[in-house]
Amino acid sequence: MLSSDEKLVERCLQGDDAAWEQIVRSYAKRIYNLSYRYTNRRDEAEDLSQDILIRVYQNLGSFRPDMGSFQSWILKVGRNLIIDHYRQTRRYQQVAGTEELEKMSITDTASQSPERSIERSEEARFLRDGLDALSPELKEAIILRDIEGMAYLEISELLGIPEGTVKSRINRGRLELAKLLAKRRGLPGWQA
Amino acid sequence: MKCPQIEERLSEYLERTLPASEMEEVAAHVHGCGNCSALLEEMRSALLKCRSFPVYEPDIALIDRVLLRTTGKPRTRSFRELLDQYFLRTLLTPRFAMGAVVTVLFLTLSASLLLPRAASIATALSPREVFRTMDRGVQAIYSRGLKIYDKKNEWQAQLSFFKNNMFNRLGIMIEQLDVPQEGKKKSGEPRQQQEKNPGDKTSSLLLLPT
Repeated sequence: MLSSDEKLVERCLQGDDAAWEQIVRSYAKRIYNLSYRYTNRRDEAEDLSQDILIRVYQNLGSFRPDMGSFQSWILKVGRNLIIDHYRQTRRYQQVAGTEELEKMSITDTASQSPERSIERSEEARFLRDGLDALSPELKEAIILRDIEGMAYLEISELLGIPEGTVKSRINRGRLELAKLLAKRRGLPGWQA
Repeated sequence: MKCPQIEERLSEYLERTLPASEMEEVAAHVHGCGNCSALLEEMRSALLKCRSFPVYEPDIALIDRVLLRTTGKPRTRSFRELLDQYFLRTLLTPRFAMGAVVTVLFLTLSASLLLPRAASIATALSPREVFRTMDRGVQAIYSRGLKIYDKKNEWQAQLSFFKNNMFNRLGIMIEQLDVPQEGKKKSGEPRQQQEKNPGDKTSSLLLLPT
Protein backbone atom coordinates (compact mmCIF):
# COMPACT_ATOMS: atom_id res chain seq x y z
CA MET A 1 0.00 0.00 0.00
CA LEU A 2 1.48 3.30 -1.09
CA SER A 3 1.43 6.33 1.21
CA SER A 4 0.00 9.62 0.03
CA ASP A 5 3.51 10.97 -0.59
CA GLU A 6 4.42 7.96 -2.67
CA LYS A 7 1.24 8.33 -4.72
CA LEU A 8 2.13 11.95 -5.31
CA VAL A 9 5.61 10.93 -6.46
CA GLU A 10 4.09 8.41 -8.88
CA ARG A 11 1.74 11.02 -10.29
CA CYS A 12 4.61 13.41 -10.53
CA LEU A 13 6.70 10.92 -12.49
CA GLN A 14 3.77 10.52 -14.89
CA GLY A 15 3.97 14.25 -15.59
CA ASP A 16 1.33 15.58 -13.21
CA ASP A 17 2.49 19.11 -12.37
CA ALA A 18 -0.22 19.58 -9.75
CA ALA A 19 1.22 16.64 -7.77
CA TRP A 20 4.66 18.23 -7.80
CA GLU A 21 3.20 21.53 -6.64
CA GLN A 22 1.57 19.69 -3.74
CA ILE A 23 4.92 18.15 -2.76
CA VAL A 24 6.63 21.54 -2.90
CA ARG A 25 3.92 23.12 -0.77
CA SER A 26 4.14 20.29 1.77
CA TYR A 27 7.91 20.31 2.20
CA ALA A 28 9.01 23.88 1.48
CA LYS A 29 8.54 25.01 5.09
CA ARG A 30 10.33 22.02 6.58
CA ILE A 31 13.26 22.32 4.22
CA TYR A 32 13.46 26.07 4.63
CA ASN A 33 13.58 25.81 8.41
CA LEU A 34 16.15 23.03 8.29
CA SER A 35 18.33 25.14 5.98
CA TYR A 36 17.86 28.13 8.22
CA ARG A 37 19.04 26.21 11.31
CA TYR A 38 22.29 25.46 9.56
CA THR A 39 22.92 28.78 7.83
CA ASN A 40 21.33 31.30 10.21
CA ARG A 41 20.71 33.51 7.21
CA ARG A 42 17.39 34.02 5.52
CA ASP A 43 18.68 34.62 1.99
CA GLU A 44 21.04 31.66 2.13
CA ALA A 45 18.30 29.45 3.52
CA GLU A 46 15.99 30.43 0.66
CA ASP A 47 18.61 29.74 -1.99
CA LEU A 48 19.48 26.46 -0.36
CA SER A 49 15.83 25.42 -0.11
CA GLN A 50 15.34 26.24 -3.77
CA ASP A 51 18.36 24.14 -4.75
CA ILE A 52 17.19 21.25 -2.59
CA LEU A 53 13.69 21.22 -4.08
CA ILE A 54 15.05 21.41 -7.62
CA ARG A 55 17.45 18.54 -6.85
CA VAL A 56 14.52 16.54 -5.46
CA TYR A 57 12.56 17.12 -8.68
CA GLN A 58 15.49 16.06 -10.82
CA ASN A 59 16.06 12.89 -8.79
CA LEU A 60 12.46 11.82 -8.15
CA GLY A 61 13.02 8.77 -10.35
CA SER A 62 15.67 7.45 -7.96
CA PHE A 63 13.30 7.37 -4.98
CA ARG A 64 12.57 3.78 -3.87
CA PRO A 65 9.62 3.38 -1.47
CA ASP A 66 11.05 0.09 -0.15
CA MET A 67 14.20 1.91 1.03
CA GLY A 68 12.40 4.27 3.39
CA SER A 69 9.77 6.98 3.52
CA PHE A 70 9.67 9.86 1.07
CA GLN A 71 10.21 12.29 3.95
CA SER A 72 13.48 10.55 4.93
CA TRP A 73 14.58 10.56 1.31
CA ILE A 74 13.83 14.24 0.77
CA LEU A 75 15.62 15.14 4.03
CA LYS A 76 18.64 13.08 2.94
CA VAL A 77 18.81 15.00 -0.34
CA GLY A 78 18.47 18.22 1.63
CA ARG A 79 21.14 17.28 4.15
CA ASN A 80 23.63 16.37 1.42
CA LEU A 81 23.19 19.78 -0.18
CA ILE A 82 23.36 21.52 3.19
CA ILE A 83 26.66 19.77 3.94
CA ASP A 84 28.02 20.79 0.52
CA HIS A 85 26.95 24.33 1.23
CA TYR A 86 28.53 24.19 4.68
CA ARG A 87 31.84 23.10 3.21
CA GLN A 88 31.74 25.93 0.66
CA THR A 89 30.84 28.46 3.34
CA ARG A 90 33.63 27.21 5.60
CA ARG A 91 36.10 27.61 2.75
CA TYR A 92 34.79 31.10 2.20
CA GLN A 93 35.04 31.81 5.90
CA GLN A 94 38.70 30.77 5.87
CA VAL A 95 39.37 33.05 2.92
CA ALA A 96 37.31 36.04 3.97
CA GLY A 97 37.92 35.93 7.69
CA THR A 98 35.54 36.21 10.59
CA GLU A 99 35.28 39.99 10.64
CA GLU A 100 33.89 40.17 7.12
CA LEU A 101 31.38 37.49 7.93
CA GLU A 102 30.35 39.37 11.04
CA LYS A 103 29.85 42.52 8.97
CA MET A 104 27.72 40.54 6.53
CA SER A 105 25.71 39.17 9.40
CA ILE A 106 25.16 42.67 10.82
CA THR A 107 23.99 43.91 7.42
CA ASP A 108 21.65 40.99 7.18
CA THR A 109 20.15 41.48 10.63
CA ALA A 110 19.65 45.18 9.95
CA SER A 111 16.68 44.42 7.74
CA GLN A 112 13.53 45.19 9.69
CA SER A 113 11.44 42.12 8.90
CA PRO A 114 9.36 40.65 11.73
CA GLU A 115 11.28 37.41 11.47
CA ARG A 116 14.54 39.23 12.05
CA SER A 117 13.24 41.17 14.99
CA ILE A 118 12.18 37.93 16.69
CA GLU A 119 15.44 36.33 15.80
CA ARG A 120 17.42 39.16 17.28
CA SER A 121 15.94 38.53 20.65
CA GLU A 122 18.70 37.75 23.10
CA GLU A 123 17.57 34.21 23.85
CA ALA A 124 17.57 33.04 20.25
CA ARG A 125 20.90 34.70 19.50
CA PHE A 126 22.49 33.27 22.60
CA LEU A 127 21.39 29.78 21.68
CA ARG A 128 22.39 30.20 18.05
CA ASP A 129 25.87 31.34 19.05
CA GLY A 130 26.16 28.33 21.33
CA LEU A 131 25.11 25.98 18.54
CA ASP A 132 27.57 27.56 16.13
CA ALA A 133 30.38 26.88 18.60
CA LEU A 134 29.67 23.13 18.52
CA SER A 135 31.34 20.75 16.09
CA PRO A 136 29.26 20.14 12.91
CA GLU A 137 28.31 16.57 13.95
CA LEU A 138 27.09 17.62 17.39
CA LYS A 139 25.31 20.70 16.04
CA GLU A 140 23.55 18.57 13.44
CA ALA A 141 22.43 16.05 16.05
CA ILE A 142 21.03 18.82 18.28
CA ILE A 143 19.26 20.51 15.37
CA LEU A 144 17.63 17.31 14.20
CA ARG A 145 16.65 16.06 17.63
CA ASP A 146 15.93 19.11 19.77
CA ILE A 147 14.92 21.73 17.23
CA GLU A 148 13.38 19.66 14.44
CA GLY A 149 12.01 17.10 16.91
CA MET A 150 12.97 14.01 14.91
CA ALA A 151 13.03 10.53 16.45
CA TYR A 152 16.35 8.73 17.08
CA LEU A 153 15.52 6.16 14.41
CA GLU A 154 14.76 8.85 11.82
CA ILE A 155 18.03 10.60 12.60
CA SER A 156 19.86 7.32 12.41
CA GLU A 157 18.36 6.64 8.94
CA LEU A 158 19.02 10.15 7.77
CA LEU A 159 22.63 10.27 8.88
CA GLY A 160 23.32 6.64 8.09
CA ILE A 161 24.80 5.90 11.54
CA PRO A 162 23.71 3.52 14.33
CA GLU A 163 21.08 4.70 16.78
CA GLY A 164 23.56 4.38 19.68
CA THR A 165 25.91 6.82 17.97
CA VAL A 166 23.04 9.21 17.48
CA LYS A 167 22.21 9.07 21.19
CA SER A 168 25.84 9.55 22.12
CA ARG A 169 26.18 12.58 19.81
CA ILE A 170 23.02 14.12 21.16
CA ASN A 171 24.19 13.67 24.76
CA ARG A 172 27.61 15.13 24.00
CA GLY A 173 26.06 17.96 22.08
CA ARG A 174 23.68 18.85 24.90
CA LEU A 175 26.47 18.68 27.48
CA GLU A 176 28.76 20.92 25.47
CA LEU A 177 25.96 23.34 24.68
CA ALA A 178 24.98 23.56 28.35
CA LYS A 179 28.57 24.16 29.42
CA LEU A 180 29.09 26.78 26.71
CA LEU A 181 25.93 28.65 27.60
CA ALA A 182 26.79 28.58 31.30
CA LYS A 183 30.33 29.76 30.59
CA ARG A 184 29.10 32.62 28.39
CA ARG A 185 26.71 33.70 31.06
CA GLY A 186 29.63 33.74 33.51
CA LEU A 187 28.46 30.99 35.82
CA PRO A 188 31.39 29.79 37.97
CA GLY A 189 32.66 26.29 38.51
CA TRP A 190 32.45 24.84 34.98
CA GLN A 191 34.97 22.36 33.68
CA ALA A 192 34.20 23.05 29.99
CA MET B 1 28.79 6.20 39.63
CA LYS B 2 31.12 9.18 39.35
CA CYS B 3 30.52 12.52 37.61
CA PRO B 4 31.79 11.53 34.08
CA GLN B 5 29.54 8.45 34.08
CA ILE B 6 26.59 10.55 35.27
CA GLU B 7 27.22 13.08 32.49
CA GLU B 8 26.96 10.29 29.91
CA ARG B 9 23.49 9.51 31.16
CA LEU B 10 22.14 13.02 31.77
CA SER B 11 20.50 13.29 28.36
CA GLU B 12 18.58 10.05 28.74
CA TYR B 13 17.81 10.98 32.34
CA LEU B 14 16.19 14.18 31.06
CA GLU B 15 14.15 12.21 28.52
CA ARG B 16 13.33 9.56 31.14
CA THR B 17 14.51 6.74 28.89
CA LEU B 18 16.98 5.22 31.36
CA PRO B 19 16.16 1.97 33.16
CA ALA B 20 14.47 2.59 36.54
CA SER B 21 17.53 1.58 38.59
CA GLU B 22 19.80 3.96 36.69
CA MET B 23 17.21 6.74 36.95
CA GLU B 24 17.32 6.44 40.75
CA GLU B 25 21.09 6.30 40.81
CA VAL B 26 21.47 9.43 38.66
CA ALA B 27 18.82 11.24 40.72
CA ALA B 28 20.66 10.43 43.94
CA HIS B 29 23.98 11.60 42.53
CA VAL B 30 22.56 14.83 41.09
CA HIS B 31 20.91 15.54 44.43
CA GLY B 32 24.23 15.36 46.20
CA CYS B 33 26.54 16.88 43.54
CA GLY B 34 26.32 20.62 42.95
CA ASN B 35 28.26 20.51 39.68
CA CYS B 36 26.11 17.79 38.10
CA SER B 37 22.95 19.40 39.45
CA ALA B 38 23.86 22.77 37.83
CA LEU B 39 24.82 21.00 34.61
CA LEU B 40 21.50 19.17 34.52
CA GLU B 41 19.60 22.43 35.00
CA GLU B 42 21.62 24.08 32.26
CA MET B 43 20.91 21.16 29.92
CA ARG B 44 17.21 21.33 30.70
CA SER B 45 17.19 25.05 30.03
CA ALA B 46 19.07 24.63 26.72
CA LEU B 47 16.70 21.84 25.68
CA LEU B 48 13.65 24.03 26.38
CA LYS B 49 15.19 26.88 24.38
CA CYS B 50 15.87 24.53 21.48
CA ARG B 51 12.32 23.25 21.52
CA SER B 52 10.92 26.77 21.50
CA PHE B 53 13.15 27.85 18.65
CA PRO B 54 11.00 29.88 16.22
CA VAL B 55 9.63 28.17 13.13
CA TYR B 56 9.67 30.44 10.09
CA GLU B 57 7.36 30.61 7.10
CA PRO B 58 9.27 30.69 3.82
CA ASP B 59 8.52 33.44 1.35
CA ILE B 60 5.74 32.36 -1.00
CA ALA B 61 7.98 33.48 -3.88
CA LEU B 62 10.22 30.51 -3.05
CA ILE B 63 7.47 28.11 -4.17
CA ASP B 64 6.95 30.16 -7.32
CA ARG B 65 10.65 30.11 -8.15
CA VAL B 66 10.93 26.36 -7.62
CA LEU B 67 7.87 25.61 -9.75
CA LEU B 68 9.00 27.92 -12.54
CA ARG B 69 12.42 26.30 -12.58
CA THR B 70 11.05 22.74 -12.54
CA THR B 71 7.68 22.52 -14.32
CA GLY B 72 7.88 25.98 -15.90
CA LYS B 73 4.45 26.88 -14.53
CA PRO B 74 3.60 29.28 -11.72
CA ARG B 75 1.80 28.02 -8.64
CA THR B 76 -1.98 27.82 -8.68
CA ARG B 77 -3.46 30.59 -6.60
CA SER B 78 -6.45 30.11 -4.38
CA PHE B 79 -9.35 32.54 -4.38
CA ARG B 80 -8.07 33.91 -1.08
CA GLU B 81 -4.61 34.51 -2.53
CA LEU B 82 -6.07 36.27 -5.57
CA LEU B 83 -8.25 38.35 -3.28
CA ASP B 84 -5.20 39.23 -1.21
CA GLN B 85 -3.08 40.05 -4.22
CA TYR B 86 -5.49 42.20 -6.17
CA PHE B 87 -7.80 43.61 -3.52
CA LEU B 88 -6.78 43.31 0.12
CA ARG B 89 -3.10 44.15 -0.41
CA THR B 90 -4.15 47.32 -2.22
CA LEU B 91 -6.71 48.12 0.43
CA LEU B 92 -4.26 47.69 3.25
CA THR B 93 -1.67 50.14 1.96
CA PRO B 94 -1.33 53.21 4.22
CA ARG B 95 -2.02 55.60 1.35
CA PHE B 96 -5.25 53.87 0.40
CA ALA B 97 -6.34 53.58 4.02
CA MET B 98 -5.75 57.33 4.51
CA GLY B 99 -7.71 58.12 1.36
CA ALA B 100 -10.55 55.87 2.46
CA VAL B 101 -10.71 57.53 5.89
CA VAL B 102 -10.78 61.02 4.34
CA THR B 103 -13.51 59.95 1.88
CA VAL B 104 -15.64 58.45 4.63
CA LEU B 105 -15.25 61.61 6.72
CA PHE B 106 -16.17 63.78 3.75
CA LEU B 107 -19.24 61.69 2.93
CA THR B 108 -20.36 61.66 6.57
CA LEU B 109 -20.04 65.43 6.87
CA SER B 110 -21.79 66.01 3.56
CA ALA B 111 -24.64 63.69 4.53
CA SER B 112 -25.06 65.35 7.94
CA LEU B 113 -25.26 68.75 6.25
CA LEU B 114 -27.45 67.82 3.29
CA LEU B 115 -29.84 65.23 4.68
CA PRO B 116 -32.04 67.61 6.76
CA ARG B 117 -32.51 69.73 3.64
CA ALA B 118 -32.94 66.80 1.35
CA ALA B 119 -36.63 66.35 2.24
CA SER B 120 -37.44 69.98 1.57
CA ILE B 121 -35.41 69.85 -1.67
CA ALA B 122 -37.34 66.76 -2.78
CA THR B 123 -40.70 68.47 -2.00
CA ALA B 124 -39.65 71.59 -3.83
CA LEU B 125 -38.82 69.54 -6.91
CA SER B 126 -42.23 67.81 -7.13
CA PRO B 127 -44.27 68.81 -10.30
CA ARG B 128 -47.11 70.28 -8.26
CA GLU B 129 -44.73 72.51 -6.28
CA VAL B 130 -42.84 73.48 -9.43
CA PHE B 131 -46.16 74.49 -11.10
CA ARG B 132 -47.19 76.44 -8.02
CA THR B 133 -43.84 78.24 -7.90
CA MET B 134 -44.08 79.07 -11.58
CA ASP B 135 -47.64 80.31 -11.11
CA ARG B 136 -46.54 82.47 -8.21
CA GLY B 137 -43.68 83.83 -10.29
CA VAL B 138 -45.97 84.70 -13.22
CA GLN B 139 -48.46 86.37 -10.85
CA ALA B 140 -45.68 88.40 -9.27
CA ILE B 141 -44.40 89.50 -12.69
CA TYR B 142 -47.97 90.42 -13.78
CA SER B 143 -48.67 92.45 -10.63
CA ARG B 144 -45.35 94.19 -10.99
CA GLY B 145 -46.21 94.98 -14.63
CA LEU B 146 -49.53 96.42 -13.49
CA LYS B 147 -47.83 98.56 -10.90
CA ILE B 148 -45.38 99.83 -13.50
CA TYR B 149 -48.29 100.57 -15.86
CA ASP B 150 -50.12 102.51 -13.10
CA LYS B 151 -46.98 104.39 -12.30
CA LYS B 152 -46.53 105.24 -15.95
CA ASN B 153 -50.11 106.58 -16.14
CA GLU B 154 -49.57 108.56 -12.99
CA TRP B 155 -46.36 110.08 -14.36
CA GLN B 156 -48.12 110.78 -17.67
CA ALA B 157 -50.98 112.61 -15.89
CA GLN B 158 -48.56 114.63 -13.83
CA LEU B 159 -46.58 115.51 -16.92
CA SER B 160 -49.66 116.65 -18.85
CA PHE B 161 -50.86 118.67 -15.82
CA PHE B 162 -47.42 120.27 -15.53
CA LYS B 163 -47.35 120.92 -19.24
CA ASN B 164 -50.79 122.58 -19.26
CA ASN B 165 -50.01 124.53 -16.17
CA MET B 166 -46.83 125.77 -17.74
CA PHE B 167 -48.67 126.80 -20.92
CA ASN B 168 -51.28 128.67 -18.91
CA ARG B 169 -48.68 130.50 -16.96
CA LEU B 170 -46.84 131.28 -20.12
CA GLY B 171 -50.10 132.54 -21.69
CA ILE B 172 -50.76 134.81 -18.75
CA MET B 173 -47.21 136.06 -18.80
CA ILE B 174 -47.42 136.76 -22.56
CA GLU B 175 -50.75 138.47 -22.03
CA GLN B 176 -49.21 140.69 -19.42
CA LEU B 177 -46.27 141.40 -21.65
CA ASP B 178 -48.64 142.42 -24.52
CA VAL B 179 -50.08 145.36 -22.49
CA PRO B 180 -48.73 148.68 -24.02
CA GLN B 181 -46.88 150.99 -21.75
CA GLU B 182 -48.42 154.12 -23.24
CA GLY B 183 -51.81 153.45 -21.71
CA LYS B 184 -54.96 151.46 -21.65
CA LYS B 185 -56.23 152.91 -24.90
CA LYS B 186 -53.55 151.48 -27.03
CA SER B 187 -53.66 148.32 -25.25
CA GLY B 188 -57.36 148.14 -25.79
CA GLU B 189 -57.13 148.56 -29.51
CA PRO B 190 -55.71 145.29 -30.39
CA ARG B 191 -58.28 143.75 -28.12
CA GLN B 192 -60.99 145.28 -30.15
CA GLN B 193 -59.27 144.26 -33.31
CA GLN B 194 -59.00 140.79 -32.00
CA GLU B 195 -62.67 140.70 -31.28
CA LYS B 196 -63.34 141.88 -34.75
CA ASN B 197 -61.13 139.28 -36.28
CA PRO B 198 -62.87 135.93 -35.88
CA GLY B 199 -59.78 134.03 -37.16
CA ASP B 200 -57.82 135.01 -34.08
CA LYS B 201 -60.21 133.35 -31.73
CA THR B 202 -58.32 130.11 -31.90
CA SER B 203 -55.15 131.64 -30.54
CA SER B 204 -56.92 133.10 -27.54
CA LEU B 205 -58.74 129.87 -26.94
CA LEU B 206 -55.50 128.02 -26.70
CA LEU B 207 -54.56 130.08 -23.69
CA LEU B 208 -57.60 129.05 -21.77
CA PRO B 209 -57.08 126.45 -19.13
CA THR B 210 -58.34 122.97 -20.04
